[in-house]
Amino acid sequence: MPSKAAADTPLFAEREEWADVQPLEQYEGVNPIAPIFYSPEYKDATGYFRAIVQAGEKSARVLELTENIIRQNPAHYSAWCYRYETLLALLPPPAEDADAGAQPDIPPLLAAELALMDELAVTFLKTYQVWHHRRLLVPLARQPRRELAFIQRGLAVDAKNYHTWSYRQWLLAACYGRGAAADPAMPDAVLDEAAGVWAGELDFVDAALAQDVRNNSAWHHRFFVVYGARGQADSEAERARIFRRELIYTKQNIAIAPSNPSAWNYLRGVLRETNTPFAAVQDFARLYAYPHSADETRDVVDLDNPAPGADAELPCVQAMEFLADAWETEAGAEMWKSLANEHDTIRRQYWEHRIRDAHQTIKPAVE
Amino acid sequence: MSIKATSTDGFPTSTSRSQAETESVLLEHLPDPASSAATPVLQKNAHMQFLIRNLVQGFPTRYISQDASQPWLLFWTLQAFSVLQVALDPGNKQRCLEKIMAWQHPDGGFGGGPGQAAHLLPTYAAICALAIVGRPGPGGGWDEVDRKKMYAFFLSLKQKDGSFLVAHHSEVDVRGIYCLLTVATMLDILTPELVDGTAAFIASCQTYEGGFASASHPPFPVSGSVLPPPAPRPPLGEAHGGYTFCALASWVLLRPYMEQTAEPKPEIDLKNLMRWLVHMQGTEIELGGFKGRTNKLVDGCYAWWCGGAFALLEALGLGGIQNADSDEVPVDSGVAAGVWDDVDESLFNRNALQEYILYAGQHPAGGLRDKPPKNADAYHTLYCLSGLSSAQHHIYPSRVRKSQVLEAWEPSGWSLLYVPNENARKVAFAELLSWTEEEGGSHIVGGKANRLNATHPLTNLTITHTEALTAHYYAQKVPERIRTAPKADPAA
Repeated sequence: MPSKAAADTPLFAEREEWADVQPLEQYEGVNPIAPIFYSPEYKDATGYFRAIVQAGEKSARVLELTENIIRQNPAHYSAWCYRYETLLALLPPPAEDADAGAQPDIPPLLAAELALMDELAVTFLKTYQVWHHRRLLVPLARQPRRELAFIQRGLAVDAKNYHTWSYRQWLLAACYGRGAAADPAMPDAVLDEAAGVWAGELDFVDAALAQDVRNNSAWHHRFFVVYGARGQADSEAERARIFRRELIYTKQNIAIAPSNPSAWNYLRGVLRETNTPFAAVQDFARLYAYPHSADETRDVVDLDNPAPGADAELPCVQAMEFLADAWETEAGAEMWKSLANEHDTIRRQYWEHRIRDAHQTIKPAVE
Repeated sequence: MSIKATSTDGFPTSTSRSQAETESVLLEHLPDPASSAATPVLQKNAHMQFLIRNLVQGFPTRYISQDASQPWLLFWTLQAFSVLQVALDPGNKQRCLEKIMAWQHPDGGFGGGPGQAAHLLPTYAAICALAIVGRPGPGGGWDEVDRKKMYAFFLSLKQKDGSFLVAHHSEVDVRGIYCLLTVATMLDILTPELVDGTAAFIASCQTYEGGFASASHPPFPVSGSVLPPPAPRPPLGEAHGGYTFCALASWVLLRPYMEQTAEPKPEIDLKNLMRWLVHMQGTEIELGGFKGRTNKLVDGCYAWWCGGAFALLEALGLGGIQNADSDEVPVDSGVAAGVWDDVDESLFNRNALQEYILYAGQHPAGGLRDKPPKNADAYHTLYCLSGLSSAQHHIYPSRVRKSQVLEAWEPSGWSLLYVPNENARKVAFAELLSWTEEEGGSHIVGGKANRLNATHPLTNLTITHTEALTAHYYAQKVPERIRTAPKADPAA
């Protein structure tokens, strides 16, 4: 789709400052099958781009040309790539007497690039390349805090965008993870803010789940922050504290909306990560795995095991599966049968497989 | 069967609201069981017209967004023809060939178009397109692929953590690794050096949910050296259907080389993976289509990325009649024909997936799509059809066929500079060719007229195209398949 900017500017073929370049046809002497019907603006710009790449020119006008192409087709990875190489060629080399731990100066060219990326990332949120180009700029600018704020704005527009979330995770691991401390080029100021940043990420997840408790990207991010990025805590007391915190957090979110596979998957993930048997949480799961009973009482509030609300649609399939997996016995098999025949019939074959598998004690596994 | 809406527990959020909207649209596409539309028809002719329009007339201006994916546009179109059991005439094949060869980069690999940088994704698409329209000999394409330069290009993308960039200055992700391994396996340029550490990288992409993410963070800083173990290698991004297919297929392709690698051998959690895949299938109200992530919407393309992944699980011992018992049932000999009727060993609901594609995936004007009321496009047309095909047929890695291929192996020189591991090379070849369609193992919703060609679960080419291309590069002859019993009726 030609952008407004591209339509308003004259073609490269009409511009005097490009008169020294002979644009290159895409298919020389071939009448290609399955052609794309290019707009004149796109055909024009990419013709000049092929010529520039062939000549190996890396000058200021290449930045204008590649920006023009990117605005018309943000997935043109070669234009991005060549733009990055051009940028590297044009940026001044880092000052030799610079202190290793100091925040680098941002040259005007880099500042302009960062500003442009802020605009393009919002316009082309779903494109791989816009996010990757930002990533390439991080080691040059070393301002991860600025990036975190930017990502937050992006997620407000598209709360489950895969690239945005994985970029955030890359940024956190690269600038605040274990590797960052071992990175001689990482500014001290960035390393100093790490503890605060990680704590802030839990608030960030809270806010995202308060918006939508079913946002699986946010649940995954929580796992990344708590366990993935830095591994388990060193002290046993700290590990136990984190485990209790994650357990109650997940249970409370399940109580709000029980049939939420994201929350149950998170619970499973925490238990696996900490080598805790599922049976340790069976009292909680039991509250959700059966229909509402007539004599449900709310007199005693068990803070460790928050109960479903009156609107909860019970039995909750995820709770049934959880209990069956915790038990893997005859009682578990009954639960699987109930899933297969009544509550989750689309997965009947899987539930039957689980029953057979649990019963198969003699036959050796086939490699 | 009652059709139950997904529970909202009286607590709607934006996820549950878009889910409910989708369910009401999908429900409109489920015909009344009493009406004649209850027998779904695959509109093969309409889809063919859609594909011919793209191929002959070309792609409209909005496809400029795919200008860097020209090999994909061609592969999706050509392979959709193959799945629909249609072959191109020699004239059009030749025009395709000329176009494909214009994408080869002078320094190896293929780009998204002429003059574009080489990139792993279009390299896979271009080689697959060549498998369909090319041939050995002068002007046939197959002998004009520069494998030496391609190997050098692949090696130049290799990272310290065993992963690969998709292109120079570009991102790491498992789609690229899948594309690289598929091409390297078919082109006989797979070496221990190339894949060193790659299996461990794949394993590190598995998330707590069981599926795989796009990539993992390397255990070393942006600048500096590798950290001592156990440095964390967290997955970047959540479990996702497309990445899961690519990671799992990569894992299967790496197995001949994994046996050679030093301890500790990387591991993946197969049971958690199986569970995640099974849960990606939508319920009856979602017509049994697949979604790509937890709490997201069903989409026809995941019929292939998730539905197609079940065949790959069979290579790892999960699901399928041959894994149900310790003795392999020699299904490809015809003896076990019809067994599947009694014991369907598949782990997901094949019939429901077929219904999703037939009822919701077909655009009335031709071509296939994500879901109604979306438009059809080239990408969804192929992956809906490939997914439908994988749900119709049971393709499994036959041990009988593998040993047959191994026995027929003739020592063949490799003209390239690298030194392969001869045993792993032979096993990689035999395993790729071991995939076999179970006779009498097809279940075709809507009857015989809806039958599609089977696709190879690793390459997503037909088995015939996969074998012909691969055997050419390995300089091997493909042994004929043994059939001891009359061919069973493929339409159950």
